[in-house]
Amino acid sequence: MTAAARALGRGSMRLGAYLGLVILVAIIIGLVAIGALPAARWAPFADVRVWWFLGEGLLATIQMGVAALVASLILSVPLALARIGAPAPVRAVIVGWIELVRATPVLALVLGIVLFMPRTGLNIPPIWAATLALTIYTSAVLAEIVRAGILSIPRGEVEAARSLGLPYAATMRLVVLPQALARMTPAIVSQLITLVKDTSLASIAAVPELMSFARSSFTFYGNPVETLFVVACIFFVICYTLSRISRRLELHRPADVMPPVLGEEDLQPVVRA
Amino acid sequence: MFGGVILDNLDIFAQAYLTTVILAVGAMALALAIGTLAASIRVWGPPLASGVAGFYVEFFRNTPLLVQLFFYATLFAPRNLGITSDPAVVAIIGLGVYTGAFVTEAIRSGILSVDPRQLEAARSLGLNQVQTLRLVVLPQAIRTVIPPLGNLSIALVKNTSIASAISTREILFVGLLVQSRTFSLEPFVAILAAYWSLTIPLSIAVSRLERRLAFSR
Repeated sequence: MTAAARALGRGSMRLGAYLGLVILVAIIIGLVAIGALPAARWAPFADVRVWWFLGEGLLATIQMGVAALVASLILSVPLALARIGAPAPVRAVIVGWIELVRATPVLALVLGIVLFMPRTGLNIPPIWAATLALTIYTSAVLAEIVRAGILSIPRGEVEAARSLGLPYAATMRLVVLPQALARMTPAIVSQLITLVKDTSLASIAAVPELMSFARSSFTFYGNPVETLFVVACIFFVICYTLSRISRRLELHRPADVMPPVLGEEDLQPVVRA
Repeated sequence: MFGGVILDNLDIFAQAYLTTVILAVGAMALALAIGTLAASIRVWGPPLASGVAGFYVEFFRNTPLLVQLFFYATLFAPRNLGITSDPAVVAIIGLGVYTGAFVTEAIRSGILSVDPRQLEAARSLGLNQVQTLRLVVLPQAIRTVIPPLGNLSIALVKNTSIASAISTREILFVGLLVQSRTFSLEPFVAILAAYWSLTIPLSIAVSRLERRLAFSR
């Protein structure tokens, strides 16, 4: 294929993506036309107060996502370091913890913690209980990503740093982690996307976030299908933007370094140059 | 006695366990069918169709499964399209279409991992299109595809729990129901144990398979 043909192909592929969007919108319009989704049920979205209402929920969703991400990032580094280098009994406990948490459905964790937290006498608001659950899950997944990132740094570099007299902590901080972090960034962003999507699960535990607000809204107006479509689009805009950022970070890596560490759901193709 | 609540309700727990397995197996079958088709279009289809398949992947991957399941449940309900009001059917469709987007990317990366020069070589040696696919591409692509598909099936088993939100009577739904009637912690322990009994053996199997495939490459 010539370069021109390939560029043309890429152009029509982008056109195809827009076509996909058009098809989706056409299906919705078709459903409206046959009367399955009466136009009247879309009317509430002309009222700016509905958007303010959903926006309030979105704010809570973003709060949960950011708080859980920051806490998970902080927790995942010691977890990963312990899994690599702690004495055997400690390591066994950490491995067991990480594997058990990763084997548990996020929804079960969220419901478990939100429902049983009051029983322990700790009365924290449900939104923070749900954030705690998301943090427990995300930190376990990130710990595996961080571990893979650290192990991807050649051993020679650690040995060289130690021979130069750098203590362990400084070796990690100055040599290993900065390089590992660069390789892990796409995987971390892709986990962030999973996290943003998972915040919606908190609505089942009656946490007031975007999905809960959407449910109140569609119960009031009686337009569930329409509202859920709008909510799906809001999530899509956020998550797709994040995935584009992740793609860009991947493309901007210098060509000579090793392939990036892959995350749980991150299945970006290993395309050969 | 610990376990009493579970023993009393053993029959409905067993039924729920079976439902979870059916959801996972049914959705995976659907996801594999969608994924194979969409990945083929993505790689070999005309650019326009490839772009449409790409939009499917991006849209469904970047939207919460919970929102998708609620969407189908309400859209398919008698009040709107009137297709079905059986939550298990809705859940299988929803889980299948969602997971299918991830499967598409996994299969696509498997196909792309085969060096295009091998295709040229196979064609020059006189193999036809089908033979090239069957004898050269697939045996190699499967090696790359199996580990991510394994991970996706683990994620899928965990995601079946979200079907409880649309009242599918699977493990989480039934467990919480019993929990709310007995105020006992036991059903929750049973929920965790049930999911672990599915996900942990799966993840051990996947990592074993991964190691075997890595060696023989």
